This record gives sequence, structure tokens and C-alpha cells, in this order.
Amino acid sequence: MNDTATILPKPAARAGEPRRAGVLDRLSHVEPVALVWLALAVVLLLLVVAPLGKLFLVSFETQETGAFTLSNYVTAYGRARYRDALVNSLLLGLASATISVVLAVPMAWAVSRTDMPGKGLTWAVVLGAFVVPPYLGAVGWILLAGPNSGVINRVWRAATGAEGALFNVYSFEGMALVIALHSFPLVFIFVKAALDLVSSEMEDAANILGAGTWTAVRKVSLPLVWPSIMAAFIVIFLETIALFGTPAIIGIPARINVVTTQLWQFFEYPVRVEVAAAYAMPLLLITVGMIAVQKLLLSRKGFVSQTGKGGERRPIKLGPWRWALFGWCASVGALSVAMPLLVLVQASFAKAWGRGISLDNLTLRNYRLLIFEHEMALTSIWNTIWFSASAATFAVLIALLIAYIVNRRLVPFGEALGFLAMAPFVIPGIVMAIGFYAAYASPPLALYGTAAIIIFAFTARFLPIAYANSSAAVRAVHPEMEEAARILGSGRLHAISRVTAPLVKKALLGGWLIVFIVASRELSAAIFLVGPRTRTMSVLLYDLSEAGNFEVLAAFGGLLLLITMVLVGVGMKLVGRDFMLRRT
Amino acid sequence: MASITRRGLLAAGGGALGGAAGVPRAAAQGLAPHERELHEAAQREGEITWYTGQFQSEPSEAVGRAFTERHPGIKVNVVRSASQVAFQRLSQDARARVAQCDVFSSTDTSHFTALKRQDRLLPYRPRNAERMIGAARDAADPDGHYQITYLALYLLARRTDRVPEPEAPRSWRDLTDARWRDQLAVGHPGYSGAIGSWCVAMRAMYGWDYFRALERNRPQIGRSAGDPVTTLNAGERTVGVGIPAAATLFSISRGNPLSLIYPEDGTLMVPAPSAALRNAPHPNAAKLFMEFMTGPAYARATRPFFAESLRPEVQPPEGARPLDQIKFVSPALQDIETGIPEVKELWRDTFGI
Repeated sequence: MNDTATILPKPAARAGEPRRAGVLDRLSHVEPVALVWLALAVVLLLLVVAPLGKLFLVSFETQETGAFTLSNYVTAYGRARYRDALVNSLLLGLASATISVVLAVPMAWAVSRTDMPGKGLTWAVVLGAFVVPPYLGAVGWILLAGPNSGVINRVWRAATGAEGALFNVYSFEGMALVIALHSFPLVFIFVKAALDLVSSEMEDAANILGAGTWTAVRKVSLPLVWPSIMAAFIVIFLETIALFGTPAIIGIPARINVVTTQLWQFFEYPVRVEVAAAYAMPLLLITVGMIAVQKLLLSRKGFVSQTGKGGERRPIKLGPWRWALFGWCASVGALSVAMPLLVLVQASFAKAWGRGISLDNLTLRNYRLLIFEHEMALTSIWNTIWFSASAATFAVLIALLIAYIVNRRLVPFGEALGFLAMAPFVIPGIVMAIGFYAAYASPPLALYGTAAIIIFAFTARFLPIAYANSSAAVRAVHPEMEEAARILGSGRLHAISRVTAPLVKKALLGGWLIVFIVASRELSAAIFLVGPRTRTMSVLLYDLSEAGNFEVLAAFGGLLLLITMVLVGVGMKLVGRDFMLRRT
Repeated sequence: MASITRRGLLAAGGGALGGAAGVPRAAAQGLAPHERELHEAAQREGEITWYTGQFQSEPSEAVGRAFTERHPGIKVNVVRSASQVAFQRLSQDARARVAQCDVFSSTDTSHFTALKRQDRLLPYRPRNAERMIGAARDAADPDGHYQITYLALYLLARRTDRVPEPEAPRSWRDLTDARWRDQLAVGHPGYSGAIGSWCVAMRAMYGWDYFRALERNRPQIGRSAGDPVTTLNAGERTVGVGIPAAATLFSISRGNPLSLIYPEDGTLMVPAPSAALRNAPHPNAAKLFMEFMTGPAYARATRPFFAESLRPEVQPPEGARPLDQIKFVSPALQDIETGIPEVKELWRDTFGI
């Protein structure tokens, strides 16, 4: 807790120069929280309420005339096929979120609390799985587990002489697994961040009372990070039902219709925005439900683990078990990163990837085409980087302020801000995009085809991630520490900037990186908002995936990954070594 | 840093070479008088935005580059997607009252008849269109609102290493044989305009029962008509259904073990139109682009990608059967307009997706 110690001399120094800083001093004692609340309310109004409100209104409108009607709802839910899509989405969300938690919680615990070897490698796995866009991973998995052509199934047949496939990616399980393999990093990051704050003393207490390592984990460590697991579960559930790329690539051949592919159908000519809006509305009820469940499960329990009262952290000695855990992390890495990337890299350097690996099949022309001959490829890379960075900055800033206000209960109805910040996630990216389109594309704002509309849509869409992240971070900082500063004469903003901010800095930077990465791979919100000059890499990748030209698609995916990895590496360096790899 | 510098040098070197060869000047001199007039007006506009669902990404970019080479100083923003997506983007532009698109190309003619009814097309009859081949001229709009810029052929293809020629299916009808269970791959009419036309054609020939029989063979369903090319290349399926000749021949030229099959009951021919828009932000460039797409330079630029030549002076692509030796089936325009929405619904009922 060096951070807390360093703030103490500061107020003393300020006290030494009382007159000159008079006005500033007085300002810092003012409670500007009401103004901040107002500003946030306006921002959320523009980012969330206006687009969704517009969609809500549209769902009751008759096309062309705008007269009030309920027929859109009848159309949207009048057919079994449409209702089935909703059920499929819900099941898929639950399955993917569950698989993600199962995959990632042991990894997070192993890296945060134990002496497992290969922690750096595990971090690489998490990062790798996270920066691979899900639709790129889906393509990789089609190559790996296509029932006839997949490498895994070919090896399986050769080894066992079996007729059928070991694992068919074109199935519900296949889709859930592929989505989970690119979503579990969220669980890992959330849970590890929380575990890092649990001091060994709590586990020691359990040990002294006779609990073994596993009992201590089960009864102490995991329950303490329960809010983080819940938050990650919800975020993954919501992101899964909003995915468009993976259901289009795997779900259509698997004959599984989900909400997003169904929405696509409503946007076919003649575009039925009204029906699509009606179809999307009940999803909001599901968010409300999930948040209610979260509240119920977390109610009347204390999760404060960071109290500012010291707290030593020692890795738990696992003995031979550390190799079992390492094996688990390595397997997840193989499934989520190594295997799909291997097939994709092979394809990106191939003249014809159907021919497999051989010298005369090697070529650089796919990369050459993208870098030198494709008019949009490099521009789209640049677009992706700066759209994502801007959106991440806005989202984290807004989310932190809201999380603080909500957690400290500074204003009445602060909860409303929290709800609004979480709401965008259940709106599938496509609908979000249409909401933005409906609200902001036309004159007078005429943002259609501009970078601004995409950045705002990304900000709104990923606000929930930033909010869940900030909220967990703020919740872990006990108000006592701020109160101590305020007792010593610090204003609220001063206390926040000197006490709370340094304590949550690490989590916030983590949140920024997460939003940056998910924004850089975001497809569904972008695809309806891009203009000729504002296309992102994900949109170009999606367009390429329709073509029978998989080599170039793989090469473009390779470029995307390379650039994201470099940026994340730079980010890690700037943030400090302790952010990604080690705590010391 | 080093790589960026090297790339910069390479790009600069490429530019210098292009300048030294005098390509732009030579090209500009090769312009007909009506083109030169448009060219000068278009140069002041500086760019053009082209929404297209006709060719795949790579050939579309090549078309853009060929245009800029012929008309220096006019950049082409190529916005390539599936035809239905391109039309959606255009519809979105219209609803937002934002004009971004100059020229629109798709594989679904009903897009153009709808746009024409709404008076959103620029009535411009390119002079170059007069010397196109008959098949292109005949399918163009009689009032000059849209021109044919892609004669798309959709047929069958097989994996040569898995399906030897004697065993291969010979017709669309053959595909309902139980032998092809779990072997077929096909696009989706909800995404691909061409597959919509194909469904309309098959329904007219064999009734919708054809698709129920096809479903018993569990075809793998993708999105665009070109999707099965990927599926075949992967070895996931062995016979591609309703796939575009151009993209398949291009894939073959890259060494993938595929071979085209011209169905005995008729190759599907879709004359795919392009049009300039009435509210085009760059109207002169749009007209010039229409001249370009109906002229020989465009035919030469798309030939390496195995597009059928629409100009008598440009040879058909290598490895493709000459058009006059192919038996064609082509649904009538009014059947496409009324039929595509119907077959989309039927498809989803039959195949469940």
C-alpha cells in the first residue's frame, strides 16, 4: 500500500502555502458532483437513450406513415422461426459464458495466487485469444474441425479408423466453444484483477482454522471474487447474443438461426427497421433480469478485500499440481490460439491453401496485395486503430465517473446511470448501429459516414465493459481511505485524484486495453455505420470472408493481429511491467 | 521503423516508375472526345464512390486502379460487399438523406427497376455501350438508366481429386440423387442476389419440390454464391452448387483442385447491371465511370479475374467455355422481381436457415 502512504505528505505541503492557492483551494472543497452527474446524464442521454429511444418509438411506427401500431411486434414474434432464434441466442449466450468461466477461472487463480510455471505464457495465451477476432477464430476452427476437412477430424479418422467426426464445428456446441475460446479472456482479466487484491492473510486465516488449499480456495478466495465472475459472465452472455460474424460463418452452415442473423433478415430489402426494432425490444428486459439476478446473488454480502490496511500476497505452493494447472492453461492456449493461428498462417502464405504445406505453394502475394495494391487495406487499419483508441478513452472516462457515483451513492437515482451504462450491451451491435443511424445519420447532425458516428457507437457499445470493470475496481477500494483524506482536509475531487485514482489506475488501464481490443475487432456495430472512407478492418475482413479467397483473408487477419499485438505491447510497456506480467 | 521507411521508398519508387513510363499521359491521350470532356470535368471532382456487389474484392480493387490509371487524378473509393448489403447501404443513404454513392453495381436487377421507379437513377446512356456485345446491350435498360457490366454465370464445380469426371453430376437435377448426400455446398438467397435468381430458375423448371429433395442431401449452406468455393477448397464438400464461374476459375488459376461443370439443364446467366445515381456527389465522374465500365479498358482489367468479356475486341477469359457453346437458363425480369422475395421465404421454411 505504498500508494496510500505517499499521499499523506501532500496535504501538509499544501497547508504550507495557504493564501496563494485560495481560490483553487476553495474550488477543490466544492462538491461538484452534481454538475458531473448532470454532464454524465447528458452524455448518456446522447449515447444511449436517444438511439434506443428512437428505436423504441420506431418499433411502434408504421413504415412510411409513422402512425402508431402494434403490428411490428406481431410480425416480429408471430412466427415460430423468429421465436426459435431468440431461444437459440439465449442458450448460446449461457453456454458460451459457462464454458468461458470454466476455462478461465482456474487460469486466473493459477496466475494470480500460485507458483504455477509459465505464467508469461499464460498471459500470452489470454492476450492472443483476446485479440483474435471471433470470426477469424471461427474460420480457423472451420479448418480445424470441419466434419470432413478439419485437421482434427482427419487425424482422428486416420488414427482410429472411425467413420464419423470427432468434433463437428458446425453445431451448437461448436459455435458455443468457438465463441467461448475468444471470450474467456474477459473472465480471466476480471477475476485475476480481483484475486490480486485478496491478501494471503485471508487464506492464512482459513489455513490456520484447518482448511487445506482447496478448501481455502473454495470457501475464501473464489467467494471473494464472486462479483467479478458474475460481471464477466454477464458481459460474455451479452456479447455472445450480440455477435454477428460467428453466427454468420458457423451458424448458417449449422442451420442455427440466432437473433443477429434474424435481424439481418429484417433489414433485407424492403428494410423493416420497425420490425427489427420491435424484435430487439424484449432483449432489454433480459438485461434488467440479469442485473436483478446479479443484485440478488450479491446482496447482503461483503466483498471488500482492499482496505488499505496492509496485506501481504504470497504464491500458494502447489507441488506437483502446478503442472496439472500448467497443462490446463497450455491446452486452452492450444485450442484458442496456437491451433487456429497455425492453420491461418499457413493459409496466409499459401497460393492455394487447399494444397497444404509445400515449398511451391508458398507465396507472399497475399500480403503484397493488401499492403501495396489494395486501396482500402492500410486506411482501414489506421481507421481501426484510432476509432478504437478514441472509443476506449471515452468509454473508460465515462464509466469511471458513473461507477464512482453509483458505488459511493453520491446522488439519488445514481443507479439509473449504472443501468444506462449497462443497457447498450444487450442491444445487438447491428441494432445499436441502426439506433445510431436512426438518431444521428440524418441532417441536422448528418453524422452518417463520418468517423464520429462509429466512435460514438463503439463508445456506447463498450460502455458496459468499461463500466463493469470500473465498478469492480471502485467497489474494491474501501471508502475509508478517501474518508481519511477528506478528514485531513481534502475535497472530494482531490481525494479521488490522489487516493482512489492511483488505486484503481491499474484496473482502468486494463479496462482501456480491453475496450480497445474489443473495439478493434468489432464487426456488428460497424457494418451498418461505415462510409466509403471510414471502413474498419473488421468490415473489410467480413467482406473478404464472403469471397472464395481465403488466402487474402488470412493474410489480412495476420496483419490485424500483428498490429494489435504491437499496440498492446507498447501499451504494456507504457503502463509498466507490473500491469501484464508481474506485480512487483 | 525500418519497414515503414522501406515501404515508403518502395511506394515512391513505384510512383516514379509509373511517371517515367508515362502511363497517365498515354492513357489520357487514348480517350475519345466524349470521354475527354467528361474526364476534364471529373478531374475537378477528384474522386468517385462505387458501391458494388458484382466482383469479389480483389477484382473490384483492380477495376478501381485501372480507372485511375486511365483517368489520373480521379480516385475510386471501392465499397465492395454482397449485392444485398450494397443495396442496403444505398437504401440507408437514402433514408439518411446523405448522398455518398456515385455508381451502384449489383447482381440483382430488381434493385435497379426499384431505383428507377423511385426516380433515383441518372438517365445516362454511355456512348461506349453502343459497341458492347449483344447479350449486354439486350439486357440493359431501354431508357438508358442502367447498363450491364457483368455477365455472371452460375454453375456447378467439383473437387477434381474427390469426384472424377465420369462420376460427376451433369445437371442441377442430378444433385437430388442420394449419392450427393453431405457432398454439396451452396450459397443463400437471403445474402446472394444470384442464388435468389437461381432459386427462381430452378422453381420454374422443377417446382419447389426440387429444393425439398435437395434438402434430403443436406447441402452445406453459406452466404454469397462464392462461399462454396471456400468450402470446396477446404475439402469440406466436393460439389459446389450455383457458384460463379469467374471466382471459381480464379481459384483454379491459383492451383486449387477444382473444375467447372456446365449443367446440361442450363447454366444460369445473370446480366448484372450498374447505374449512376441521380444524387451522385460526383456526377461527371459517375458518368465517366459508366463510360469506363462499358468500354474495352474495363473488359481488359477484369479479364485476368475471369470475367466474361462484354466487348467484342477483348478475348473471353482463359479456360472458360465460349458463350455461344453454353446452354443458358435466365429467369425473366418480372419473375425475378416477384420471385426472389417468395423463394427466400420458401428457402427458410425448407432449409431452416
